[in-house]
Amino acid sequence: MKRDLTFILCALAVLAAAGLALDPGGYAMRILCLVFLTAAMAQSWNIMGGLAAQISLGHAAFFGIGAYASTILQVEAGLSPWIGMWIGMVLAVAAAMLLALPTVRLRGHYLALATLAFAEACRVIANSIGITGGPQGISVPYMGNSPAMMQFSQSGGYLPVIGALFALVFGLFALISRSRLGYMLRAIRENEDAAELSGVSAVRVKIAGFAISAALSALCGTVFAQFMYFFDPDSIFSPLSISVRMALVAIIGGLATLSGPLWGAVVLVVLEETARSRFSALPPGVTPLLVGSLLIATVLWRPAGIVSLLPAPGGVRPGWLKWRKRNA
Amino acid sequence: MLPELLQFLQAVLDGLLLGGVYGVIAIGLTLIFGTLNVVNFAQAEFTMIGMYVAWFLWHALGIDPLLGAVISFAAGFALGAAVEASLIRPVMKSTGAAQIFLTVGLMMVLENGALLLFGSDYRSVLTPYQTTAYRLGPLFVSAPYLYAFVAALLGAGLMWLVMMRSWLGRAIRATAQDRMAAELSGINTRLVHMAAFGIGTGMSAFGGGVILPYSSVSPTAGAQYVVIMFLVVVLGGLGNAAGALAGGLAAGVIQSLSGLYAPIQMQNLTLFVLFLALLYFRPNGLLGGKRA
Amino acid sequence: MTGTSSPRARLRRLLLSAPLLAAAAAAAAAETPGTVKVGVVLPLSGANAKFGATSRNGIELALQGINAAGGIKGLGGARLELVYADVPTPNAAGSAVQRLVMQDKVVGVIGSFVSSITIAGSEVTERAGVPWITHAFSDKITGRGYRNIFQITPPGSVFGETQFGFALELLDRPEAPVEKVAILYEDTAYGTSQAAGLRAAAEAAGVEVVVDEAYPLGITDVTPLVNRLRAAAPDLVFPVSYLNDSLMIIRGMRQQGLDMPTIGGAAGYVIPDFQRGLGDLAEGVFSISPTNYDLVPEEAEAYFDTYGEFMTQEAQSYAAALELMADAISDAGTTDPQAIRDEIAANDYCEGFVAGMPGGCPEFDGTGLNVKAVPVFVQWQGEDLVTVYPPELARGPAELGE
Repeated sequence: MKRDLTFILCALAVLAAAGLALDPGGYAMRILCLVFLTAAMAQSWNIMGGLAAQISLGHAAFFGIGAYASTILQVEAGLSPWIGMWIGMVLAVAAAMLLALPTVRLRGHYLALATLAFAEACRVIANSIGITGGPQGISVPYMGNSPAMMQFSQSGGYLPVIGALFALVFGLFALISRSRLGYMLRAIRENEDAAELSGVSAVRVKIAGFAISAALSALCGTVFAQFMYFFDPDSIFSPLSISVRMALVAIIGGLATLSGPLWGAVVLVVLEETARSRFSALPPGVTPLLVGSLLIATVLWRPAGIVSLLPAPGGVRPGWLKWRKRNA
Repeated sequence: MLPELLQFLQAVLDGLLLGGVYGVIAIGLTLIFGTLNVVNFAQAEFTMIGMYVAWFLWHALGIDPLLGAVISFAAGFALGAAVEASLIRPVMKSTGAAQIFLTVGLMMVLENGALLLFGSDYRSVLTPYQTTAYRLGPLFVSAPYLYAFVAALLGAGLMWLVMMRSWLGRAIRATAQDRMAAELSGINTRLVHMAAFGIGTGMSAFGGGVILPYSSVSPTAGAQYVVIMFLVVVLGGLGNAAGALAGGLAAGVIQSLSGLYAPIQMQNLTLFVLFLALLYFRPNGLLGGKRA
Repeated sequence: MTGTSSPRARLRRLLLSAPLLAAAAAAAAAETPGTVKVGVVLPLSGANAKFGATSRNGIELALQGINAAGGIKGLGGARLELVYADVPTPNAAGSAVQRLVMQDKVVGVIGSFVSSITIAGSEVTERAGVPWITHAFSDKITGRGYRNIFQITPPGSVFGETQFGFALELLDRPEAPVEKVAILYEDTAYGTSQAAGLRAAAEAAGVEVVVDEAYPLGITDVTPLVNRLRAAAPDLVFPVSYLNDSLMIIRGMRQQGLDMPTIGGAAGYVIPDFQRGLGDLAEGVFSISPTNYDLVPEEAEAYFDTYGEFMTQEAQSYAAALELMADAISDAGTTDPQAIRDEIAANDYCEGFVAGMPGGCPEFDGTGLNVKAVPVFVQWQGEDLVTVYPPELARGPAELGE
């Protein structure tokens, strides 16, 4: 537990230091925000995908519900996203319960594909009803700098918000991971039938895990919407750029580990952005090709993720140094 | 006949013709899953590759895509076998997650590789039967859909024959059932995996060839089939070839009927909702199949 | 600190005094490093890559013209340089634009073919105070009342209204009266915007809309759509879509012997791949289009010689956008984005590609909408797309069949 706390505090210290050093309106600041936001998204997914090995490819559903709930409430009722985010979380939990009806007994690939279909269904619905703005998408109303409405004109303004989100999601993950719930989730990962026999109610544990994971995803969705200022059904419910990405980052970093999603986010976001800015003159397609190759290489070379590169005890330190250099 | 009944029959017919093609594209995915227990997210990209192969054959040599689809199969087979040997084999013992994301990476590589190689043009073929429709009494039967349907069924039938009657088919089925036992009885399961993966990707590439007369190909042409392909496979039960064909036909008819009675925009929603409902009642798909 | 207030304050100073403006311009010109950068945001990979690629072709052609003619004159002949960002989806827009603005220090942005990417990206330029010229269609782009976005095409709804109006004027004849029409559109920002305009215009004209269907992007089978057309037997069909669906719709209609006039909604209907994919079936198909290459014959020829196919409307429009941007930079005589923004708002440029814009020289209202923008009506005649309406812009007669 102490190591977990140290890790989270170190990460926050780096975030704060970089936040003070960087230009609040600059590109590096945006990347910093994106890294921590992406890490939080991946960690929300990691609760079920990592601890319990319940691979969902539909977390964009909860993410999008969070984004739409807070944004629609702001557009239609002038409600602050600080309040709207709670409603988004409640709705996401409700959606998770609804999804659990047909999927809680599913395993492995069936679960992955059922969740994928659920997120796609959300996308179609958001596209065809009026309140979401339909395919036209929805913009967060322009407020300039307004902390009360969770809106800032520069990326730097979002850093404390994203830092808090990061601390919350990572903190909760550490707590769950070491709690009774965490052990039961792991029991399900190892052998669901055996877990049932030893008195774990797999259905209840999975529903609890999914509810927490969905709520946190929705929270990330609200912050994402505020950070991006605009989204549409295809982008917020995107199977590839949201659902798969959440899982991807956790897997690249290291499944079921606390630090994995952050490492995954650092590597993926920094690599993508570097490739995009360096290779913008090369023929289009090179950047996604490289990202795809990296993914293949990671899986082949380190199936357990980047975390497995770090020496086990007290091994966080050399990694930190590397990380700071990259972002300096 | 009543006009409502006619419309209904027409929609069912259109749905079946479309569904046959869904079936043949998905059959490859289900074969790979059944034999290797790997979900290949890059599967639809092989359909795209099959479309390109058929297009180039038509463009350079004037070969009709329905015939060119045979070469598409060969290309899909060769590429798939190479992918299996170099990328899939090393992760056979890894977790399902590692396999999923390996194939997601492969999907990105194939799509953008096609963009780099072929550019972003939309390519399509010109064939005389593209504007032909047969009249079946009061019903219309679209020629390109009909030909694609027939070709798809022929392809699926041929695959069934290979699976049931040939040594290779028996070896694949034996390996799918119990790899260890197959190995002990002298089957080279590595080779079998390679062949099964190749046949699987080949079938999807073949499907790409047969749909080219009514479609067009660009590097993202596979993307529109990804979700539907997975739905079809799960509908039929993962790993169940006959199920994939049945699932394809069911998906086609559901889409088509939904388009008749509800806004066309909703056709996929209908499909997703029915899909989730089906899983509620039958967690292992329409035709059962082994437990995942 | 690089807040939005400081360039604005600087701008106010500049505007207040003309001598000071001249002095500042001279100073800026003197310290110009010799190049000035403009950002280009386009979908160069992903589903809309083709449209991104042709847009880029047009932009490159305009760039050559500008630099060959002596670069940015107001900055002492500085060379114009482009920085590309490949943005296939709106989620990637924010970071890419931030990079262009803050890292590459672009003085303005042009792009992106796709409406949603333009909306997402321009949220960043709006806050950073950098001007953006776009050719995307959605009503939302200028509907937000932003200061730094300029839309050179008519918005989707106006586009749809004109598509309907022109069609009625040209095709509603005593021997073939137009009483019922069909609207088919993909459920994207572009499709729904334009369909709304078509619907409103049909209602205003008292014409019955017998089919009004949205369909999912990436639809694999259009037979249900064509079946509805056959059942409803409209006099005109208005499909609004990208390429693949447009090919399937036209083929499907011909299979069932439906040959009523079809009026496409630009995008997929006005690119060379449409005719290549359909061959003779393309003959006679109409479309609305923001502009057409036969309005700028010289530039069109240069384009054809360079790229081997005709200049598409997006290539032409983005070439015009770059010229507008270059002229504004020159007039501003400084690399201050807000000064450039004001020069765009007070546009006086009307040559080259811009001269070919159907409505005449762009004039922007307070929201950044080009109030002079009017689309044209084009028709496939052989391998050519011919402007056939309105009469003052037509380059050839419409083939009305029968």
